Amino acid sequence: MKTITRFRSALLLVLAPLACTLSLEACAAGDVAKGKDVFATECAECHSAREGKNKKGPSSFGIVGRKAATIADVEYSDALKSSGITWTPDKIDAYVTAPKKLVPGGKMKYDGLASAAERADLIAYLATLK
Amino acid sequence: MNPLITAGRRTRLSALRGSASALLAALGLLAALGLLAAAPAAHAVPSFARQTGADCAACHVGAFGPQLTPYGIKFKIGGYTETDGKSGKVPLSAMLVSSYTQTAKNLPEKPADNVSVNRNFNPVDEASLFLAGRLSEKIGAFIQATYSGIDHSTALDQMDIRAAHTTEVAGKETVFGLSVHNNPGVQDPFNSTTIWGFPYTSSALGFGMGGAGTLINGGLEQRVTGVSAYTFWNNMIYAELGTYRSLPVTMQSKFGLGKADDIGRVGSGTVYWRLAMFQDWKKQAFNAGIFGLNTTVQPDRSTPGSNKFSDLGVDASYQFLGTRQHVATVNTSFIRERQTRNELVANDAADNLKGRLNEFKLNASYHYMQTWGATVGRFVTRGTSDATLYSDGFANGSPNTSGYVLQGDWTPWGKENSWGAPWANVRFGAQYTLYNKYNGAKNNYDGTGRDAKDNNTLFLFAWTSF
Repeated sequence: MKTITRFRSALLLVLAPLACTLSLEACAAGDVAKGKDVFATECAECHSAREGKNKKGPSSFGIVGRKAATIADVEYSDALKSSGITWTPDKIDAYVTAPKKLVPGGKMKYDGLASAAERADLIAYLATLK
Repeated sequence: MNPLITAGRRTRLSALRGSASALLAALGLLAALGLLAAAPAAHAVPSFARQTGADCAACHVGAFGPQLTPYGIKFKIGGYTETDGKSGKVPLSAMLVSSYTQTAKNLPEKPADNVSVNRNFNPVDEASLFLAGRLSEKIGAFIQATYSGIDHSTALDQMDIRAAHTTEVAGKETVFGLSVHNNPGVQDPFNSTTIWGFPYTSSALGFGMGGAGTLINGGLEQRVTGVSAYTFWNNMIYAELGTYRSLPVTMQSKFGLGKADDIGRVGSGTVYWRLAMFQDWKKQAFNAGIFGLNTTVQPDRSTPGSNKFSDLGVDASYQFLGTRQHVATVNTSFIRERQTRNELVANDAADNLKGRLNEFKLNASYHYMQTWGATVGRFVTRGTSDATLYSDGFANGSPNTSGYVLQGDWTPWGKENSWGAPWANVRFGAQYTLYNKYNGAKNNYDGTGRDAKDNNTLFLFAWTSF
């Protein structure tokens, strides 16, 4: 089981850059391992990395490339539902920087992550959640 | 705890043991006098987790209540109303504590009919039902009813009903709230003040923090009803102002609290206040503040005469949270109480009109993987001597008590991937309390040869909630 897990992790590390094809700039500098820590610190209270596991916020599994507000069984704000956003790395970067600026009237209670490097790491990690 | 005031649950055992000063008892001021224990103050409420969709670990250090993370602090300030938006959530929880208590030397007498003078295993130390969660968009509650397996009684325990509204002031998110509660401090969102400080549970058959305690440290609990207004600006500044009224004796009786431990009547000018600064940097958090309680207490409701209390406290807390794999906390508080004992002196129950009582607490904890925890706490109570007030059960007319509390605990569940989440929660703990000084002396504090170290207490507990 551990071997499978390690193989999966290694595979994700290899494939992660490929997942960033929607915006290479945003992912290029990202460190997946650091991004996992950023996720644990900044996001994990409200979001899970597991597929199908919705907490207060929706699962972050498969977030890169997903259209906003499309997971069933999650109560999204009207603002997010009508935003028309698709979560490209650029949009994630903008949202994590200042959620209320990108989606005024959104429900996410998060002040934003100022560090561009940490955002890049986070996006690199999110890209592995597939 | 406070020899001037009956402290609700804390005096139940002393009343049973008949250890209270006859003089003070006659005045309606049952004294703690050394055989009091700080009964369990256990709170962990999975209905909050079900309501929010968050793990217990999101709100609580070590994945079990009541020590709050910044997320938990904000949830409480928000009036327990935050939700994942899904319907059908029932704001009910339950809790059961089983325990084993062993003191270094046998208790002088059996504290209750169904317990021994030592080595007590209590499968049902206490059991609680909670109404805890969101009642409407802006109103939430935390109401606890507790059955004590020690004295076989059920009573209203902690209560905090809140209404909170979030808006913007000067461009910053601001919460305005109201709290109706029954214990000064129970509404406080930080773990560095009195009610929610370490130890978070303790033996009802142990010796607590000594026979004397400040009024704000549980001296009025459950015997009053309070209303306070608070605000929390920019996730940074917390301010609160409140007042209290005594619960009518008949109401105390209806709530299962009993009439015998009525504290009397608190003055109409009672004021509670609180000012704190809070910083949540995600990887770490910090809060520091000041708080106070000014009141008078008329022990005998039918006879004029009251005692005045002015409590002033400072507190601070630091949390290293990181990725939540290694979490370390430090909490500290210092309370200075000034007493003006008009009624006590008039009734020859105290020698000195003026007196002072100081309490200091410092504790540090470390949790690994939100599962394995270790906490060390230091407590010191010091006050001015009074040979009459601190007579039976005290040495040298002194209330001084000091010691350490050590605890190791294991909390296997309460995380995202835990079995049975968010329903199944349990903490197993071993706690040891050591006394350097108890009720005024290191040795022979009660005049019968009992030393402070004879009160050293081992407390093993299994604390479940669902």
